[in-house]
Amino acid sequence: MVSEMVGIIEGIIFLIVALVLISFAILSVVTRDIVRAALALIISMFTVAAVYIMLNAQFLGVVQILVYVGAIGVLILFAVMLTKKTMGRENNDQ
Amino acid sequence: MMSSEVIDILFNPWVRTLIGLCLIGVVFGGAMVVVWFERKLSGDIQFRLGPKYVGPFGMFQLVADAIKLMTKEDLIPSKADRLLFVSAPIVLMGSVFLMLVAIPFGAVFVNGVEYPIVGTEMDISILYIEAVSSISIIGAFMYAYSSNNKYSLLGAFRNFARMIGYEVPLGITIVSVAIMVGSLNIVEIAQAQSPIWFIFLQPLGFIVFFIALMADMGRLPFDQNESEEELVAGWITEYTGMRFGLGFFAEYIHLILGSMLVVLLFLGGWNLPSFLTNVTILGIFLPTLFYLLKVALVILTIIMLRWAVPRFRIDQVVDLSWKRLLPLSLLNLGWAIMLGIYLGM
Repeated sequence: MVSEMVGIIEGIIFLIVALVLISFAILSVVTRDIVRAALALIISMFTVAAVYIMLNAQFLGVVQILVYVGAIGVLILFAVMLTKKTMGRENNDQ
Repeated sequence: MMSSEVIDILFNPWVRTLIGLCLIGVVFGGAMVVVWFERKLSGDIQFRLGPKYVGPFGMFQLVADAIKLMTKEDLIPSKADRLLFVSAPIVLMGSVFLMLVAIPFGAVFVNGVEYPIVGTEMDISILYIEAVSSISIIGAFMYAYSSNNKYSLLGAFRNFARMIGYEVPLGITIVSVAIMVGSLNIVEIAQAQSPIWFIFLQPLGFIVFFIALMADMGRLPFDQNESEEELVAGWITEYTGMRFGLGFFAEYIHLILGSMLVVLLFLGGWNLPSFLTNVTILGIFLPTLFYLLKVALVILTIIMLRWAVPRFRIDQVVDLSWKRLLPLSLLNLGWAIMLGIYLGM
């Protein structure tokens, strides 16, 4: 009984995590704002870490955060800031 | 008789939740004390008085400031990226709270047995802390980018250049400590320093770690992302009210947690000689007190360094990290391996 409940709860949590992961991954492809795309990619990478931790691979999950969010995500943002693009909303003439 | 009761109480999930909430409260209260302390000490160093009207010695100045910040108009610039503008404080605070989960706040000795006061004890906690603390830069970036302001963007740019440089020596010094202990668990790292603190075994590592951590926390010789004199307030220029307050507060909580990390990794944690900790009443309070005292001393040093060292230029900062600290940290890594493997320490 208890183990069944635990299984159901785990399934629900996995469903939420997977939905967030897929929606942010799609968002990072379809969004027009390049910075938002990078941030959506970072969130989806973070969620992959959550999936790893749910699969009982805690070390891999933490390393995923360290490498993909802390290093690669930051480098992507850094590279985005080197590109020439108007900041913030469109049609601003600053 | 007494010990089993105490242990039962300590491991009750409700009690643990309560302890966790208390720890969050302690950190917030501690951050307020640190802000007050910094203002007062800065005043002393510059021959000013500092805050003095609210409460005894101006102690409740920050309460007054918080009330002021909360009653301010919640302003969002019209050309700002609203979604990022609103979610930036959440990301920044979230990163700080995630760090809080794995950092020990001391230890309780009951009949000579040690129970660390920590939210979650994991095998890889130092790696975890390092990982989640790197999220804070994304929060700071969101602060800066969403405000649509040139000064903010310049601040974020400098922040990136600095953080990318200093995460590397910071990580390598942490690794060299972990190699000597043979564990990534921060509680075990603290316990391993029972006879000799690591500052004596790895003095070079301590210096590199301390400098890199100050850069990581954005304390004054390294606060290029904020540099008031050139960039107004850098990354946080467009913010007012409680959103500004949260960014400001996150920096101070980061300062406290960083100082705890220094004490845990290099200054011996809460270890005391066992004849002190075996006494029941001393064992409950003394190690934590000793630990927090050391944390306070580290914070004091960092605050005093603020007025002792002028801010570096950004190219000097990047230079210091890649040309000086990185080779030194690698040297320290070699030294740690030598000590750890050949001397069997």
